[in-house]
Amino acid sequence: MNLFLLPYDVFILLKYALQLSLSASNLLDRDITSKSDPMVVLFAKKRDGKLEEVGRTEVILNNLNPTWIQKITISYQFEVVQPLVFQIYDVDTSYHNKPVKSLKLEDQDFLGEASCVLSEIVTRHNHTLTIQLQNRNGHGILRKLGALTVHAEETIASRTAVEITLRCYQLANKDLFSLSDPFLRISRMVEGGGYVPICKTEVVNNNLNPVWRPLCLSMQQFGSKENPLVIECFDFNSSGNHVLIGKLQKSVADLETLHREKNGANFVIQTSHGHEKVLKGQLFVDLFLEKEQYSFLDYVSSGFELNFMVAVDFTASNGNPRNPDSLHYIDPSGQLNSYQQAIMEVGQVIQFYDSDRRFPAWGFGGKTPAGTISHCFNLNGSASFEVEGVEGIMAAYASALHNISLSGPTLFGPVINTAAQIAGQSLSNNNSKYFVLLIITDGVITDMQETKDALVRASDLPLSILIVGVGGADFTQMEILDADNGQRLQSSTGRMATRDIVQFVPMREVNSGQISVVQALLEELPGQFLTYFRSRDIKPHARHVC
Amino acid sequence: MDKQCRTVEVTVLSAENLRLDRKSVKKNTYVVVRADPLNSRSTTADFEGGSSPSWNEKLTLDMPFQTRFISLEVKCRTGSGDRVIGTASLPVSDILGDYTPESHLHFLSYRLRDARGGRNGIINVSVRVKMPVESVCPPATKNPVGYGCSSSWQQPTLGVPVGHRKNYYGGVVTGVPVWI
Repeated sequence: MNLFLLPYDVFILLKYALQLSLSASNLLDRDITSKSDPMVVLFAKKRDGKLEEVGRTEVILNNLNPTWIQKITISYQFEVVQPLVFQIYDVDTSYHNKPVKSLKLEDQDFLGEASCVLSEIVTRHNHTLTIQLQNRNGHGILRKLGALTVHAEETIASRTAVEITLRCYQLANKDLFSLSDPFLRISRMVEGGGYVPICKTEVVNNNLNPVWRPLCLSMQQFGSKENPLVIECFDFNSSGNHVLIGKLQKSVADLETLHREKNGANFVIQTSHGHEKVLKGQLFVDLFLEKEQYSFLDYVSSGFELNFMVAVDFTASNGNPRNPDSLHYIDPSGQLNSYQQAIMEVGQVIQFYDSDRRFPAWGFGGKTPAGTISHCFNLNGSASFEVEGVEGIMAAYASALHNISLSGPTLFGPVINTAAQIAGQSLSNNNSKYFVLLIITDGVITDMQETKDALVRASDLPLSILIVGVGGADFTQMEILDADNGQRLQSSTGRMATRDIVQFVPMREVNSGQISVVQALLEELPGQFLTYFRSRDIKPHARHVC
Repeated sequence: MDKQCRTVEVTVLSAENLRLDRKSVKKNTYVVVRADPLNSRSTTADFEGGSSPSWNEKLTLDMPFQTRFISLEVKCRTGSGDRVIGTASLPVSDILGDYTPESHLHFLSYRLRDARGGRNGIINVSVRVKMPVESVCPPATKNPVGYGCSSSWQQPTLGVPVGHRKNYYGGVVTGVPVWI
């Protein structure tokens, strides 16, 4: 797969539907005359601690070592921690002929409960996890309650993709002194009737019969082959006000038909009177290829890892940590400051994908006890730059606040270069680690060109950089690094970034969803991970793909 | 006498936003890759690609030890002869002597500049250095004598121990020393 054939800012929605198969062993025997008749109910634990039912298996009669046939479907989201609670009930004989959905759990006998996090299941070999059953709420184990085994499988949709080559004929001219510069945007219909863009082609200059480079769409992006997609053709304007040339609605199945029959589909446009006018311009599908590609979970369960690294801003603009107004103030009541929040929210998700849970942690812009200002010092103050677990990062951060005096200026170059060095050197040992550097900062950087140089050099490595801006500074300049406007970063030596590896978000952006602003940063990680490995034709370790 | 110690595979992938005489290029673009003043390789021409052509063509070149840049030249076959659209220089330090192992496949992109030094698009390539041929190259730690274009030029020993992998910073660079 050619990396550069992708539009630079392709949207990839990666929500996997997983099916969980369950079995149990040595369940408690509750019935007097026969064995228990167990059924499993799966709950998702919400942020407020409440349990929300996800699904149930069927009831298996008279069996303390059941293997349920009914699978439970759950949607896997990389960017959130998904705590799950499995509860097993012994269903009373009087309910045996009732539909499982109608059974009231309070009328059944409780056999045991098991908790885990969804990412724990998918990162194992063969996506299988066995958990010991406990009493409700984990309150001690009065007697042996047995064990539950959960196996997760992706649905077919996760691996199917289509590669299509689109071409247009006789598009309308929207430019004054030359011809239109067309590009296509494909959107998919979502619940509620709205449309969400799923990909864009590149812009072909000055051409009313353009041929675009092949597009690769995964089934996760388009939903199903029958799902209606809207394809809009725009005339590119450097101002950003692209003019709509026309649009049409086709599903992936329709595009396949167009390809097979070698037919064109006409674009339409809304007239000022409100009805649709059929245009002369047509869309053709020159190539249509269905293929299987490995998913993020295939890689992760076969031993590929995400390695988490953190860098914390110790510049003076944060304010004296003893002062409650400081961004570094550690609240004795336990409320987390912005730095702690960002570390927790990102670290808690990624830690499951890192096998040894040893995380490099640095500070920058501070004066070390030795008296020198460093732009990349070990957060735990010792010779080792790694700490254990997210708790280790939090402890190193708290102790650094006592030992480091805030200074400045804000430079990212040294930290990015160090992270890049680690990522580059790991390639000598193996090809299956992907690094994620989280930089938390309160200010705008003063070494923009050096940072761009470091980012360009790092863009060809297995590394993604997440930058969180805390506090009230104006971060507009930082958004240049994010390259979401499609402008590739350029180094001072004329080299361009290979991929967009940076994401920046200011923490104070208002969010009303269930995912926090910081976790929204994580949504694009699986896509960046896949782009890196797929472009080099690196496949999951064969032995472990199920 | 020239002894090439390395071969390099340059896969010329694609280019973007090429312009000639202030207009978008229409067709017939090709790329000339040069690692040595005397040798070059070219891709075939992309007949249809317009201002954003793609070639996906792998070119194998010999790269003398002292090469500092690989030049990439995008040209266009027009009715009045072959014209240079833009050139870029790929520093060898971008493929050797950085943190990656020698055989790493690098995906690289460079800004193209036209004859007047103005920006003219971007070129995308992937590059892999092939391991040096044993019979021609001396082991890294010995002092090679008489290699390179000019017989009076000698490559000094840099004395860097190879193989010390696990160091994160303040450590030693791994890989074969290159005189840059």
